[in-house]
Amino acid sequence: MRPIVPKILVVALLCFTASAAHAQKKSKAAAAKDDEIEIEEEATPDSITPDEGPGEDGIELEEDTVKEGDLEADTAEFGSDTPTIKGGPVTRTPVSWKDILVVIRKPFLKVRRVEMLPFVGTTMNDNMLRHYSVGAQLNYYLTDVLAFGVEGQLYVSQPREPFDLIGRQARRLPTVNEYNWSGALNFHYVPVYGKFAILDKHLVTWEAFFTAGIGAAQSQVIERDVNYPGFKNFLIQPNVGANMRFFLNRALTVSLGFRDYIFIDQFEPTDRSPTMNATADQAKSNADSAFINNVMFQVGLSVWFPLSFDYTTFR
Amino acid sequence: MRKHLQIVFFLGVASAFFGIAGGSSAWAQSDDTSGPEGGGHQSEQRRRNDLASQPAVRHRILLVANRFEATPLFESTVNADFRHFVGAGLKLEYHLGDKLSFGALGVFSGSIDTGLVDKIVPTLPDAMSQENPLEPTKDQFRSHLNTMPIHGAAYVSLTPWYGKLAAFDAAFVNFDFYFQAGMSYAKLKSSCADSICNDPTPGQSRPDPADPTGEATLPPDFNPNNDAPLNSGNRFGIYLGAGIHVFLNDFLALDLTVRDYAFSDNPSGADYNADRFVSDADSRFLNHLFMGVGLSVMLPMKAKRTR
Repeated sequence: MRPIVPKILVVALLCFTASAAHAQKKSKAAAAKDDEIEIEEEATPDSITPDEGPGEDGIELEEDTVKEGDLEADTAEFGSDTPTIKGGPVTRTPVSWKDILVVIRKPFLKVRRVEMLPFVGTTMNDNMLRHYSVGAQLNYYLTDVLAFGVEGQLYVSQPREPFDLIGRQARRLPTVNEYNWSGALNFHYVPVYGKFAILDKHLVTWEAFFTAGIGAAQSQVIERDVNYPGFKNFLIQPNVGANMRFFLNRALTVSLGFRDYIFIDQFEPTDRSPTMNATADQAKSNADSAFINNVMFQVGLSVWFPLSFDYTTFR
Repeated sequence: MRKHLQIVFFLGVASAFFGIAGGSSAWAQSDDTSGPEGGGHQSEQRRRNDLASQPAVRHRILLVANRFEATPLFESTVNADFRHFVGAGLKLEYHLGDKLSFGALGVFSGSIDTGLVDKIVPTLPDAMSQENPLEPTKDQFRSHLNTMPIHGAAYVSLTPWYGKLAAFDAAFVNFDFYFQAGMSYAKLKSSCADSICNDPTPGQSRPDPADPTGEATLPPDFNPNNDAPLNSGNRFGIYLGAGIHVFLNDFLALDLTVRDYAFSDNPSGADYNADRFVSDADSRFLNHLFMGVGLSVMLPMKAKRTR
């Protein structure tokens, strides 16, 4: 009887080897055709020398080879039972997969924190009087994007050039009111966040948020003639605003933005004489009303309490 | 009290500005140490990671470097005293690199009276008042105001900040901040009819036309309302600007800018220095603040990307 079985085994082994080799060639060819799969030369992080950093203008084009760590080697080493010998200074061993972050954590958490924001502001849309304000906000963040809070401001006013020119050139005395104080209950919503690099070196994270609120304020008539006293107005004052916030560290942020305080103000009547609107009450009862948008630019430095926070999820 | 609050205001602005500058450096250090979560109790050696010496941003699209930018734009004055100028124009800019560029812009504008003018004019008399001759008439007041049909600037621009943002967790866009400085130009125009501006020698005595000998003179009338406004012509000055590109894709960007064209001007065309006649001395160096919005087209349309 002829030994058929060994021959069959030899042929089968040859076929398997050939098919395996063929399959390997096919996969390499397919990989070469597919743009999304790149086979790159292995390079450990140690092989990256300091000379391989950015050029003079800090720009490297993507034709250069990307060097990565050896994932298999790192994984095998990390999973082996080799005993660790501790001694000498602690150094960090680069492990390639530790740099893989599926979702980067937010650099700053606001949820259940209180923001105390002292700020200063100035009028943007009044060409007769420029108001400066000093104020503070106290906000509580229900979530990372929603907050409510209160604010208060004190104002001082300064006449601008047209206030004087109108009197001298057009022989008219402007009718204007100045603001004394304001307060509001506000709600904040943070729909935009981002980061930017400064001069290719420093990364700064920031966010933009919108504010809407309702409050009260007091305005005061600046008398055209000191013989006829002015009066004060109590104003119901809704407001809307848009702001940017820059994160400095875990407890400090800088905010700047615009706020539009909307109200109906009462102005001194134009016809005042000893027999007409002579007193403040009479003038106030015959005051001229006008719809006012007081747009202010505000900038402030926030302190957040608690001063730090803990992440509740893995990195 | 007022001065104290003003000092507090300026100190606040200054401290906030330097807070951003100083704080960003501190934050950047934290970035080098795996972000702000890097604890302060760890040693410096343990805190540093492999990314410390790497570029701040990888695979960044070079949205402006070595590209030509053409931007049709709209512009309007902010808080103008007597007339708003609203216009359309074109900005052309070439970006030498990722940060530095140079360019020029020109805007054709129309004018709209401000609310202040709308309030003053109805209260003015139609004809000159004998009781108060220094009170301008409606026509005198309006005809002294100037317009700015053309303005523009040539500038150098610096783009030190770039980044990306997410809006409503849906839109992810790149942006950059830029700052510009250069020379401004404006063509001012005022038209005062001879019947209104009929003082041939403002602030000076003039020969009496009724005197045939020509020796008698008339004293100055010291009424600036009938003097020529002297607020038209070409003006050159300083230009400052700051803005943001919000990139819609690799070659289109929304361009939002605040621009200040500062040059000598007398917008009211009236007596400013209280010498009771209009002269060039009434002009002063004024800031003309504009806000603009445009759509930037970057050429070539394909942008390179960093490693």
